[in-house]
Amino acid sequence: MDTDPIPVTVITGFLGAGKTTLLNRILSERHGRRLAVIENEFGEIGVDNQLVIQSDEELFEMNNGCICCSVRGDLIRILGRLLKRKDRLDGILIETTGIANPAPVAQTFFTDDEMRRNFRLDGIVTVVDAKFAATHLDSDDESVKQVAFADVILLNKTDLASPSGLDALEERIRGMNAVASIHRTRDCNVALERVLDIGGFNLGRATEIDPKFLEPEYPFEWAGAYRLPAGSHGLVIGHADGREHSGGHHHHHHGSENELDVAVAPVSALGEAEIAAALDSAVAVFAGPEKRVENGGMVAPGGPLKRLLLDGGNGRFKLEVSEPGHYLVFERCGEEPLHIQVGADTVKPSWQADYHVAHEHSSVSSVGIQQAGELDGKRLNDWISALLRTNGGDIYRMKGVLSVKGATRRLVFQGVHMLFDAKFDRDWGPGPRINTLVFIGRNLNRAALTEAFKACFAA
Amino acid sequence: MQLTKHWAGQLDDYVIDLAWSLDGASLAAASAAGPLTLFGALDGLRRCELPGHDGGSNAIAWKPGSAILASGGQDGAVKLWDAAAGQHAATVPMGPAWVEHLAWRLGGADPILAASAGRKFAFINPDATVRRAFQDAPKTISALAWHPLGGCAAVAYFGGVCLWGADDGAAQREFAYGNGIHALAWSPDGRWLVSGNQDPSVHLWMPGSDVELQMSGYEGKVRHLSFDPGSRWLATSGSQDACVWDCSGAGPEGREPLMLAHEAPVCGVAFQRAHGLLASASQDGALMLWSPERRQPLRATARMPAAAACLAWSHDDSLLAIGTEKAMVYVLRCET
Repeated sequence: MDTDPIPVTVITGFLGAGKTTLLNRILSERHGRRLAVIENEFGEIGVDNQLVIQSDEELFEMNNGCICCSVRGDLIRILGRLLKRKDRLDGILIETTGIANPAPVAQTFFTDDEMRRNFRLDGIVTVVDAKFAATHLDSDDESVKQVAFADVILLNKTDLASPSGLDALEERIRGMNAVASIHRTRDCNVALERVLDIGGFNLGRATEIDPKFLEPEYPFEWAGAYRLPAGSHGLVIGHADGREHSGGHHHHHHGSENELDVAVAPVSALGEAEIAAALDSAVAVFAGPEKRVENGGMVAPGGPLKRLLLDGGNGRFKLEVSEPGHYLVFERCGEEPLHIQVGADTVKPSWQADYHVAHEHSSVSSVGIQQAGELDGKRLNDWISALLRTNGGDIYRMKGVLSVKGATRRLVFQGVHMLFDAKFDRDWGPGPRINTLVFIGRNLNRAALTEAFKACFAA
Repeated sequence: MQLTKHWAGQLDDYVIDLAWSLDGASLAAASAAGPLTLFGALDGLRRCELPGHDGGSNAIAWKPGSAILASGGQDGAVKLWDAAAGQHAATVPMGPAWVEHLAWRLGGADPILAASAGRKFAFINPDATVRRAFQDAPKTISALAWHPLGGCAAVAYFGGVCLWGADDGAAQREFAYGNGIHALAWSPDGRWLVSGNQDPSVHLWMPGSDVELQMSGYEGKVRHLSFDPGSRWLATSGSQDACVWDCSGAGPEGREPLMLAHEAPVCGVAFQRAHGLLASASQDGALMLWSPERRQPLRATARMPAAAACLAWSHDDSLLAIGTEKAMVYVLRCET
């Protein structure tokens, strides 16, 4: 009763991705610690004198057919038996089959009283085959879930993938799961402190999130501001010296290489408020219908969205401006540079920014909300309860650190599908009380979640 | 009433099962690490030590009317031991899965050992021949219990309970239950079959009729069940109280259970075999004795340095054996 819970690490990943390699690496580097391994395929452990138990991944599925209620019966049985020793184990490693859904594993540690009391789900580590992952993610729902559930993702077998392929894969995975830490590995060669004792399900660490992911997503990847005189100018895609992308942001194509969506909007000044308003109207333009513009055609500021038709990635268009002033140019994506020519001169943008793009190729994504203020406890509870009741099947994981009116301590919570744990941990202390809330799941509606969350603030 | 320490012994690891021999001469204790130890019942002296099972033992049971001890372990085997000679007698391999549950038929013409390993279930003869191997259960077998008259064995798994006939091996009844089951018990008069469940609840069937009852409200899964010899009281774990249901007449539905309070989750309940005392143990090492029918039911309290892993009353109800998580075996004498 007075002993610390035993940490449990779950290793998931597709067949051949390298789960067993990681397992053997952990066992050979952590010899001397009492670890037990629950594996699904027999005889893979190449390290002697280890406590290895084979499991059959027996699912306890409830009559109502709800996956959110399923737990792993074999784990309850095997872990229950592993507790029956005089000296406690130092840790448990659970290797799942390539086709396993991680949800019942995680739910086991949320619902069973004995498991909750004696074990601590430390983290879900997903090993991804860098070469074949894209195919798996396109075709297989379980591999998508394994990525979505992960606390740590190893992009393994990097030697078999191209650098650009790795970049694209990492970006895609980041778009699905913005919270996991991602490591590129060969032979699962990773420092063990990055996969063990990571506290992935530790409520106190729920806010350790890539801050970039908390930024809103936009339908465009880049915007630049240009000061233009009235007249007809050149809008050139490709060909020339091009603009510089800041921060090494990697662009990749959504859709055809010979189409590029742009919008141009006048802006009265380059202040924060003016740009924010222009971003909002550009979002509306990108959400509306598009007008196709042949190479050589004319582009005017304002709606609708212009879909530029390119030739081998290149194109030259006329940008007609009736009033002199600042103009913002928004670009959906582009491997070729965009530049504006006034007469014979290329105009440098006076301001530019890269944006986090909403990914269309995967319906699994992360939504992060960060906002200062105090929440009304009842409203929050009503909202979360209703949300999980109706959308729990689509919400794989959520984490949050929240500021509730009347409470001096942080309310931290952690959930899997419809199950969640919430408790007050430490005092907020001085400084602003900033709420952070993260969802990872399928078909998440960022705008609706954000709006509903804002409605929970205390009056 | 007097509860006194009679003797104590030590194993090499967690005490996973205890069994008093029917002649009252010895107490067998199984360590979770594997070895089986036979203690003299009266003096606590170590009579013999048997190797048990590689990887650990799970369960032990004395064959009625003899000095044969059966054991099941992580090696997927049932073993029979000649306790008088202190020797291994036979091994019955069951497959790769752990042998987790064993029970000898006490009623009926001849002893039959029911044993389960994973989804496999078999009846084994005292000579170690397999009397009957059954079809695999739909899920891992999680509990088994002989009917008190020995006519059938109840076998539980996630999804329900099946009654297998002792003589013809036929499935007599199948009771569906939509969740995991951790314990099974028959009332001594055979009226009730009870499961302790994952959900957490206890479920009661009256196999002679279509009556079934669901009693819920537990804090955690119910892993321990015990009926009093009069078949009235059903003691259950699953909370910080030993929860005792009155199963007389139409059963416990609509009746408030007795809540016998501990200060930590209850980890064991055991009624005496012929008398009415209930022993209950909790995670904090407390052991309490109760008379459920009294207005002041608490009769005695003892405290051990570690939580009880198993409880076993001797056949004459005078001695209570307690095996702890920290490898100790305590035998208490109970005098009323």
